[in-house]
Amino acid sequence: MPLSILVLIMSFAIAPNKKITVYLIGDSTMADKEVTAYPETGWGMPFHYFFDSTVVVDNRAKNGRSTRTFIEEGRWKPVVENLKEGDYVLIQFGHNDEVPTKKSYTTPEQFTINLEKFVSESRSKNAIPVLITPVARRKFDSSGKIEETHAVYTQLVKDVAAKYKVPLIDLDQKSQELVQQFGPEASKYLYNYLSPGENPHYPAGRKDDTHFSELGARKMAEIVLYEIKSLNLGLANHIRVVPVKEKK
Amino acid sequence: MKISNNTIYRMIKANLKKTLFVCLLALLSFALPIKKHITVWMIGDSTMCEYDSSRFPLTGWGMPFAQYFDSSVTIKNVAKGGRSTRTFIAEDRWQKVVENLKEGDYVFIQFGHNDEAKNYPDRYTTPDDYRKNLIKFITESRDKKAIPVLITPVSRRKFDANGNAIETHEVYSKIVREVAAQMDVHLVDLDAMSLKLLQQFGEKNSALLFMQLEPGENPNYPSGVHDNTHFNAYGARHVAELVLQAINDLHLEVSDRIFKKS
Repeated sequence: MPLSILVLIMSFAIAPNKKITVYLIGDSTMADKEVTAYPETGWGMPFHYFFDSTVVVDNRAKNGRSTRTFIEEGRWKPVVENLKEGDYVLIQFGHNDEVPTKKSYTTPEQFTINLEKFVSESRSKNAIPVLITPVARRKFDSSGKIEETHAVYTQLVKDVAAKYKVPLIDLDQKSQELVQQFGPEASKYLYNYLSPGENPHYPAGRKDDTHFSELGARKMAEIVLYEIKSLNLGLANHIRVVPVKEKK
Repeated sequence: MKISNNTIYRMIKANLKKTLFVCLLALLSFALPIKKHITVWMIGDSTMCEYDSSRFPLTGWGMPFAQYFDSSVTIKNVAKGGRSTRTFIAEDRWQKVVENLKEGDYVFIQFGHNDEAKNYPDRYTTPDDYRKNLIKFITESRDKKAIPVLITPVSRRKFDANGNAIETHEVYSKIVREVAAQMDVHLVDLDAMSLKLLQQFGEKNSALLFMQLEPGENPNYPSGVHDNTHFNAYGARHVAELVLQAINDLHLEVSDRIFKKS
């Protein structure tokens, strides 16, 4: 009798151990970084800190990868194999797909096919794919207006999202708005800009208009989080809730 | 027992490999003198301490600071929010550091924010006591053959009407400088350095270094926060960079252990 009670109690304590895994697949703008690359920060890093204990963020994004090389290197397969019903797959590629001179180059047709593969295989495991357009680079025209740098590949993401009714986060657009708001000078704070001698990991300094600082990465993660709420994804119910504190 | 030529050949080959390996090790030990492992103890307040991820992006500068050393250094950040020199000692936090100090260890000391807060009697420390406590940290560190490093309290974000960053620790930073001079202690004038940093960023953009979040922007701070004392991850890293530069300029031995990308 006491044993059965114990088992009953334990089953309540342990039973709801069905955590949602949010897989992040993408490139360097999303990836976790080696310590020696700090302060370069992928937006997937601060994204870890926004959810309650029912969610595990598993950031599989990898520097330099396109949809094609991510698949070819066998990085997608283990994600599919581990997907459970109710898991999420946040998909953000483009930076390395769209550059013809890069080894990772993926033709527009192949890019579309690869995105469709991510979507259909996620769905076949009853997981929820979310398509994300590639986050903006810091590029301004002479009048101080931000320039679109992913025109073709962002549109392809949108097309796949529309065709298959996949939740879409237009991070390209939203991050351009943010970078514009900061303007040509202050937007450097969002990216990995370091003066020579400033940081031991970058003794010669750095002017990087693609990869983020801690600040930029966090702002991008906040945008993605905001869009998850706007889309009314079930995941939004698992964002950390902190009681509102009275101000001192 | 019959040993074939083949076996002998393999035995020689295996031994050769071993010999070569030993030679290589010997060579390496000359090329890379194996450094004695040291610990850098960080004692201070909320601007230096570690935070749980549930409070992200709140970041003490000791957190990014720890990312820049090679494996011969352990950073023990025992700084604690709300602590002055007085309460840090009264709570036996200092005693625990002293007990574990080893020869060649460093003690990085940054207090002031809470010592100088007259309106918080639970932490306030008079200038005289502040001076005495700093001297205690120094003498007790030196007793254990550890190396104390005094750090003036990192600046708060405060600008005058002309957009000039204002000194916010006048009295207590001066005491740190005096104690450093008097006792010949390495000094990192972080107050002055960070004041310059704030000026470089300017009144508006310097907010990007601090815990400034709009309501709804970040789930950890649903009602937003406007804090000109505590740093976000970006600000904490900039402060850590200043301290790294300072210990490099002071030629402290520990600065040879900063990880350098070749």
